[in-house]
Amino acid sequence: MKHILFFTFVLFTVQCGKDLSPFGGEPNVTPLPKRIKPEWPSPDWKVVTPESVGVSSAKLKLVEEYAFTRTGDEADRKGRRTDGLVILRNGKLIYEKYARNFKEDKVHLTWSVTKSILQAMYGVAVKQGLIKLDDPGYYHYEPLSRDEAHKKITIRHLLNMSSGLAAEEGYESGPLKSSVIAMLYTRGRKDMGSFCANLPLRSEPGTHVYYSSCDTNILSAILKKVYGAEEYDKLPFEQIFKPLGITNVTFERDGSGTYVGSSYLYMTARDLAKIGYLYLNDGVWNGERLLPEGWVTLARTPAPGYKTTPYSDDLAQDNYTAHWYANTGVPNRGIHEPWPDAPADTFAALGHWGQMLYVIPSLDLIVVRFGDDREKAFIKNDFLKLVKESVIR
Amino acid sequence: MKRKLSIFLSLLFLVLLFWAQWNWKHLSSFPSIISSFYAKEYCSCYFVMELSEDQCHDFARQWVPISEFKLDKEILSVTVKGLGRTNTAKFQSKEYGCTLVNE
Repeated sequence: MKHILFFTFVLFTVQCGKDLSPFGGEPNVTPLPKRIKPEWPSPDWKVVTPESVGVSSAKLKLVEEYAFTRTGDEADRKGRRTDGLVILRNGKLIYEKYARNFKEDKVHLTWSVTKSILQAMYGVAVKQGLIKLDDPGYYHYEPLSRDEAHKKITIRHLLNMSSGLAAEEGYESGPLKSSVIAMLYTRGRKDMGSFCANLPLRSEPGTHVYYSSCDTNILSAILKKVYGAEEYDKLPFEQIFKPLGITNVTFERDGSGTYVGSSYLYMTARDLAKIGYLYLNDGVWNGERLLPEGWVTLARTPAPGYKTTPYSDDLAQDNYTAHWYANTGVPNRGIHEPWPDAPADTFAALGHWGQMLYVIPSLDLIVVRFGDDREKAFIKNDFLKLVKESVIR
Repeated sequence: MKRKLSIFLSLLFLVLLFWAQWNWKHLSSFPSIISSFYAKEYCSCYFVMELSEDQCHDFARQWVPISEFKLDKEILSVTVKGLGRTNTAKFQSKEYGCTLVNE
């Protein structure tokens, strides 16, 4: 009996000593620096030497070594497996290298980076006045009207990964109950939006940040209803890819013709850099505003729901925003910045197996890294530290 | 002793039965994951990313091996059998890539 009491006491005190109290106020989202006469890729990026824009070639070699040094063979799929790396400074291409049979004109699966492009599609819909951030989803999409609790889910909640829907975002780790695997490959694949909208709620919408591909595919299904199937099919191609001069691109759909906004966009590294450049320029492309004012700020601001999300170590790994990632820290939830060696204004679109798009406004840098990492061998902070150190002025 | 063991085993069996029933929707769709994942990801790897057949096998491979595989370059499809379930992914077009064929 004594033992049991002691064991219980230990179990309860294990969590003590961890300071879960807030250590500060709101995340600090700095305004984007004014860009003097930005260069536009028309039709493609201008290629210059790193030194001509204040970057050290010798230091870039260290970035290259980190990214491209292989530690396993093709069969074991171990280690860092970089497929492509593109770096831009001041809107000019200063570094480009590919591996594992990828080339500059080959598209690559971007996995969850797709979510950040879907965020741009929403920017277009908001700018056109077809949708408002605080609209309840069911205004536009009937499956979300199944009960009063589901009716409370707004577009903003979905963009902030705070719908409260009881999704399970595990891939290889927990295939049996993973809702993302069921959605993509089995029970949900015919109609991912409807499959996701039918999940029960685990918490009040807006109060709990939980990264979920389901939230994204409900958003994608809502857009189809807002535009109608025919216009929706053209939406990303005509409203985003065409203005940016992106022609070599594939966006896959589910069994009902809804874009798999969570996972299945294929682009070249040079073209994905254009998406980063659109956001670096606050949603303006070559003088034309594609995304509404404040839309990029929304993408750079950690989700408000963090304040009320129960603390966990997993939570502290990312600063999730509205379908992008920030590096501000979330002081009012006791969460530090995930990449302490990168500038605090770094923001990113990230995907499964090592797909990355970084935008660093204070250094005027865009970095695209494609990969096929099957284990956690590519440490983002180590990589970003080397990138930052390559800038000499 | 024997009796105790048989009671224990029957209880264990009952618990398992309840667990299986409780998780039936997850369990029943689980075997399909292997072939549908392989078919879909191979199809996109080969027809969208245009990588080699070998590289695409390496890309789509999982821990559970598959039992049958067919890449059809005529009708642009990939059919895979694994854990007793068969799934097919079809290449639609350059814009829309591959989609799993609804069962």
